[in-house]
Amino acid sequence: MNMTWTNEPDRQQTGTATMAKPALPVLQLVGVSKRFDGFTAVDDISLDIREGEFLTIVGPSGSGKTTLLRMLAGLEQPSDGNITLRGTLINDLPPRARPTCLVFQSLALFPHMTVGRNVEFPLKAKGVAAAIRKERALELLRMVRLPESYYGKNVMTCSGGERQRVALARAFAYDPDVLFFDEPLSALDYKLKKLLEKELKDLHKESGKTFVYITHSLEEAMVMSDRIGVMRAGKLVQVGSPEAIYGAPQTRFVAEFLGEVNVFGASLEGTGWVAETSGEPIRLVLPKPLAGASKAAVVVRPEYMKFLADPGDADNAVRGVIYNEYSLGSRIQYQVRAGDRVFLVEMSRAQARPGAGSGEVLIGWNAADAIVVEA
Amino acid sequence: MDTTRPRRTHSLIWVWTLFVALVVYLPVVCGALAGLSKGRYFLFPIRAFSFEWWQKTLDSLEIQRIVENSILIALIVTVVSLALAFFGALAFARYDWRGRRLYQKLLLLPIFFPQPVLGLALLLWFNTLGIQPSWHTAIVAHLVWIVPVVTLVIAIQVYGFDPAMEEAAADLGASRWMILRDVTLPILWPGIWSGALFAFLLSWGNFPLSLYTAGADSTVPKWLYSKMVAGYTPMVPALGTMSTLAAATLLLLGGAIAGFVRARRNR
Repeated sequence: MNMTWTNEPDRQQTGTATMAKPALPVLQLVGVSKRFDGFTAVDDISLDIREGEFLTIVGPSGSGKTTLLRMLAGLEQPSDGNITLRGTLINDLPPRARPTCLVFQSLALFPHMTVGRNVEFPLKAKGVAAAIRKERALELLRMVRLPESYYGKNVMTCSGGERQRVALARAFAYDPDVLFFDEPLSALDYKLKKLLEKELKDLHKESGKTFVYITHSLEEAMVMSDRIGVMRAGKLVQVGSPEAIYGAPQTRFVAEFLGEVNVFGASLEGTGWVAETSGEPIRLVLPKPLAGASKAAVVVRPEYMKFLADPGDADNAVRGVIYNEYSLGSRIQYQVRAGDRVFLVEMSRAQARPGAGSGEVLIGWNAADAIVVEA
Repeated sequence: MDTTRPRRTHSLIWVWTLFVALVVYLPVVCGALAGLSKGRYFLFPIRAFSFEWWQKTLDSLEIQRIVENSILIALIVTVVSLALAFFGALAFARYDWRGRRLYQKLLLLPIFFPQPVLGLALLLWFNTLGIQPSWHTAIVAHLVWIVPVVTLVIAIQVYGFDPAMEEAAADLGASRWMILRDVTLPILWPGIWSGALFAFLLSWGNFPLSLYTAGADSTVPKWLYSKMVAGYTPMVPALGTMSTLAAATLLLLGGAIAGFVRARRNR
């Protein structure tokens, strides 16, 4: 399967103003692969990165997303395929000659320099005079919301969040057209992460630069991105707006990567579809008929499952037994066993069934709320 | 709670520390006192103290000559071994290349090789090649043993170096030269500095290699040994004490400079 996303129609044009005109992609990958000693880290990826967009690549660790980013930054060379920057082939262009900048997972701040000298580093490399360097560094510190007094501070005495900001200011000092982020927020606590996600999003809007962000957290991707690409085992399996990825996953992998979902195999028996389960057969009503296929995977998000009073209350109904109940804060999750299968049913605390701790229940979902993907 | 227990532990730690310090420093102190004795022979207790032998040591043209030899050898060994060991350490700990593991093992061998045997082997080599042993050949001999040591000292620092920093510098537009000057060297500086101290002091104090390979030229340890074997004078402990004091001063100076640099950086 060789999917190419380059010709895909724009699913979402509402992101940023620069996206509206169908300009030349800032970066274009065509059939890019990277192999290390017989191991294929990135496998035949084609992708257009649009001018000014916030693109997030998500995938489990080892899916090749960091290698992909390193090739874009020029720190690795592709084994196959072409990377072009506004139409110019840049496969072998060294990082220092690219108008791109990478914010490393470790941030890679220079521990022997002050905050100010870290931020000024790219300006010094360009040969900018000291006075102008300082002026610009102070400006950048303001931009990332650090006090100007931090200019002379030892960077190793800064907190985790402050170091993030220093790394960001340093990247902006290079004045790149495209910024790459390699999970820079992964080491921070939840609250700070949320704050910095928001600031990063704001910074993206204000600067108008192209951001390419990689993370293993879909939640992070959902919050910030104009588009999301999902990677698995070196391949890009789906690219689209957050809404499209969440609402219409194209494979079982993408569906399961999006968080806890009910996924089960279904097969065509006679004229109707039946869920693959060891217990009593569960007849299924699917949202759309699958042409030619006799097997499929059905995805139903836990929040679309509900308790029924009568089997006729929903298109699909399953009889089961509640055997676990979890509090997820504002939401409650029930685990309902039906035969050898466990269904997750999630609802807000306000709707939760009081005293549903045990006993037989009837659960169900409407056909329109299910997503059918390749088995 | 029982507070006597931590207090007792505390005092025991003190007693033990003092005992260790005594065992380590008593011989040094004895040597120093022997150099301050007025008598001609190495006898205890010392009946009369004087700076006579110190003065004689300082006035001796022969000693001036061997100290110059030792310092010159140690300085050249330091410079050459730093240059070799710096890049050797990068190859040892920073870059992954075919044959690196073999290199890491081969590098360690000379350190474990008994120095007198190494000295003799080198002397045989010099003879075979028709090279007259002198302080020049002693430098080569010292390097054979000291370069691996210094490489290891710097390699320890290199292991703690995040290669992403060099990548980040390149990504931010720095040239190879700027990366070396502004990132790699300053970060590895503590390791380079301790490597330099090691190189200097190991060369300064080396006896077995100098004995075999310095030929007619003498160094401080070689002179001390020859005088101990035949013709003892209190100039031996006097020179030994001076040598120790000079080394200690060098170490303190190194520590002070490192502390000063750290303080300036943290300001």
